[in-house]
Amino acid sequence: MTTRDLLMSCWTPDPLALFGCAAAVTLYLIRGRAGAGARAVSFAAGLLVLALALVSPVGALAEGYLFSAHMLQHLMLVLVVPPLVLLGFEPFNRGRVRLPAFVPWGLGVGAMWLWHAPTLCNAASQSEAIHRLQEASLLAMGSAFWWPVLAPRTGDRLPPLGGVVYLFSACVACTLLGVAITFSPVEVCSVFAHPVDRFGVMPLVRDGWGLTPERDQQIGGLLMWVPACVVYGAAILAVLARLLRDTAPVGMWARTTPRRRCE
Amino acid sequence: MSEAVTTQPSIEAYPDEAHGLNAWMTTVDHKRVGVLYLITALLFFGVGGLEALALRLQLARPNSALVSAEAFNQLFTMHGTTMIFLVVMPTLVGFGNYLVPLMIGARDMAFPRLNAMSYWLFPCGAFLLHFSLMAGGAPSAGWFGYAPLSETPFSSTPGTDYWILALLVLGVGSVATAINFIATILTLRAPGMSLGRVPLFVWMTLVTSVLVVLALPVLNAALVLLLVDRKLDAHVFLASGGGNTLLWQHLFWTFGHPEVYILALPAFGMISEIIPVFSRKPIFGYGFVVASAVAIAILSFGVWAHHMFAAGLGHTADVFFAAGSMLIAVPTGVKIFNWIATMWGGSIRFTTAMLFATAFLVEFVIGGLSGVTFAAAPIDWQMTDTYYVVAHFHYVIFGGTAFAVMGATYYWFPKMTGRLLSELLGKWHFWLMVVGFNLTFFVQHFLGILGMPRRVFTYPDLPHWASLNLTSTVGAVVMAIASLVFVANLALSLRRGKVAGDNPWQAWTLEWATTSPPQHDNFAEVPPVRGRRPLWDLAQAVEAKPDETTERTLDKSVVAVWGFIVSEAAFFLILVITYVFFNPAVGATGPTASSVLDVGRTGAFTACLVASSGTLWLSERRLDRKEHAAAARWLFVTIVLGVLFLVGQGGEYLGLYRRGVTVATNLFATTFFTLTGFHGLHVTVGLVAMSIVLGLALAGDFRRRHSTLLRAVGLYWHFVDVVWLVVFSIVYLRARG
Repeated sequence: MTTRDLLMSCWTPDPLALFGCAAAVTLYLIRGRAGAGARAVSFAAGLLVLALALVSPVGALAEGYLFSAHMLQHLMLVLVVPPLVLLGFEPFNRGRVRLPAFVPWGLGVGAMWLWHAPTLCNAASQSEAIHRLQEASLLAMGSAFWWPVLAPRTGDRLPPLGGVVYLFSACVACTLLGVAITFSPVEVCSVFAHPVDRFGVMPLVRDGWGLTPERDQQIGGLLMWVPACVVYGAAILAVLARLLRDTAPVGMWARTTPRRRCE
Repeated sequence: MSEAVTTQPSIEAYPDEAHGLNAWMTTVDHKRVGVLYLITALLFFGVGGLEALALRLQLARPNSALVSAEAFNQLFTMHGTTMIFLVVMPTLVGFGNYLVPLMIGARDMAFPRLNAMSYWLFPCGAFLLHFSLMAGGAPSAGWFGYAPLSETPFSSTPGTDYWILALLVLGVGSVATAINFIATILTLRAPGMSLGRVPLFVWMTLVTSVLVVLALPVLNAALVLLLVDRKLDAHVFLASGGGNTLLWQHLFWTFGHPEVYILALPAFGMISEIIPVFSRKPIFGYGFVVASAVAIAILSFGVWAHHMFAAGLGHTADVFFAAGSMLIAVPTGVKIFNWIATMWGGSIRFTTAMLFATAFLVEFVIGGLSGVTFAAAPIDWQMTDTYYVVAHFHYVIFGGTAFAVMGATYYWFPKMTGRLLSELLGKWHFWLMVVGFNLTFFVQHFLGILGMPRRVFTYPDLPHWASLNLTSTVGAVVMAIASLVFVANLALSLRRGKVAGDNPWQAWTLEWATTSPPQHDNFAEVPPVRGRRPLWDLAQAVEAKPDETTERTLDKSVVAVWGFIVSEAAFFLILVITYVFFNPAVGATGPTASSVLDVGRTGAFTACLVASSGTLWLSERRLDRKEHAAAARWLFVTIVLGVLFLVGQGGEYLGLYRRGVTVATNLFATTFFTLTGFHGLHVTVGLVAMSIVLGLALAGDFRRRHSTLLRAVGLYWHFVDVVWLVVFSIVYLRARG
């Protein structure tokens, strides 16, 4: 088997996932506050990434094959899909829900740490049901995390400097785990050391790509460390841009900011 | 709380109008503290420069014996340490001290006395460092003190101990200043001066301060561990006792890479002030300059490992860190284009300040590009520890930061003294410095490529090595002459320079709105701020929009305590990581957490500490309700509970000592005692602070004025308790589970 074969064959068109995506698109088109142009593109991109994370070879390899593939899927679900989808909605300024910021922060950081506890990580790779639960919870926790930053209801958003602190501290928490996984001599998920080869790709992965279990885990840790950091960093810059665009002197910690034309 | 927000220091707070020595020694005025920083840093620039000159003279010829190998090691260690910690950082802090309050329209820093303390820690640290000369020789393990070279078996003189102590003292001072800057910038801006309008120098100081608060504690933790190794016979960084020498490199560069940007970002701020004024154009892309600085700050924490490519981290890690490091070139490049675009089409006036800013652009790009070459791991393997590295970081720190600082001196000297620096001597200074600098360091690129290692005290007569080294030494002498011209210019212009007036450069930022030098409380009246260039708006009579009011919801004490808590958290984080790193769940020998610790008994004392947070909360609530006696009672109960905890910890230590478990027994004991010991120290400090608050309360202070003191101390105490919960679960509960 070659890499090309793997990319062609390892698709798992899970009806539930595809139905979910289709339903989301329909809802978005019918009753969502569907925005035009860039917003629609963002929403579509979010769903595309979601679909790829669930049914593409990334999803297939994440189930018990490669820790690094699992990490890629993990990051797509927590750090890529929610912000893209949230950006797909036209912002509106009406009402708000007060929730202390540490709750969504805890959920977002918890999404990173919780599912990498060895027991849970192994369970998710062995049982189909738990794996589905993992995917759904990652998506939910990721969405909760991004809500205070990108919520369409602008009243729910954190003030700019608060947003920077929120994102930066989450980045630090995520980096720490990435560092730990990268340099840990212990297997985080022992399942990935001896995969059950359902697709017959292990010879390719081990010999063709040269991915030993140790290197696989190291890549996983580094994925969580460097690219994840870049996502948080980009979000921090976006929040700062919001702050700098208001040259009008408003309270930077104040919840209510003056109405803006865009966003 | 709201009362405390608007109180600013009044004129009466500073009875030091006089110019006597005593007035300068006791000053808490941010302008004088700033000048003190700058003068002291200039002094050490002379010391570090002479050290560099001695190094270059020794290297002028092959097989030279001017300086012995040991003296050479001491010289380059002292040169690096001096230039980074005693010259560049204090200079940047000095300019920040002088300018930030003026630029944002404040009367002083948020905490003037803390500011003075930060300054005085600087000469204290410098004294400790140089005292080593009288105590058996200067440190000689390099400015990064790599273990195991810096450990007792290889550096047995006390030089390294003094180096550690000096850096700890300087580190504490830097963190205190950084917290002060953050509190000042976030809470003391003039009405209308939103964060989107502050001068870029202020933004860069803010970002730098955040870096200092996060990075310096990492260095402090590493230094503490090294000191434990050296003085208490532990083996954290010594392979002989199961320790890990690479851990030092990881910790040092976790601090060291952000440190590079701590040295560079304020220089970016200076350049961003100078170039627009002398190009007669507003800065191109204000938001991009800010955002790229923040991006640099975030990335700087993620890429320390590129200093360790040669240490063997493995192929995968190298690839990621190479990519991450190259990524930093993007925001840095964005800034360069911001400055070029600002100059583009402007009517440029090449004053000395502008000349230095222009040279900064060129030299910083050269240093940046050689930096990008290092991001490619294979090139790094070839070039690391050669003169190519020396050339690279001197282009960044001297060609970049020092040139920016010299430009800034020409630009702001008139504001500080009321007199302009001589342009004639300035031009001599500039051209000698440009020629000398490039002569010294450009040829070192070639030396590095030819394979000349750095930190060698002499070299054989290989082809080209002698001539290139001689060229470099000649350049160093030219730089020394240029520096003398600079000092002469400073001294002459201070007495006989042209009188500057308020705004000699027709600049736009608030510091030029006041007299030169500024009066005691900075401004008679702060001009209205309606944009990024208040003086321009004033001159153009931009129509006065209805006055917007700035809403301030931040209390400066609370900001400061949070800043302090973040820095302390970074410190404890490193100690916790070290503990976890050396205490794997299985496979340890000697005493371990599960074999010697009594979870039940410590759990009881933990309950005391947790309860003390509760009683403190009750005390705060009572104070809010003005029940002063009850507040004092609950505070007393809190102190008693804290003391109980300390007694429990003391009992535990005594028990361990009786069983023969001391800090030097094994790595479990070392990391355990260091972690819990530092926590105990923090509990003690908290108890002392609370006792002072209680004393004040009993003296009737609570009644007289509404104080944020209890709130600030309370935050700290809650933090200490949270740290203990983390320690308890990691050290004690993990051992049981």
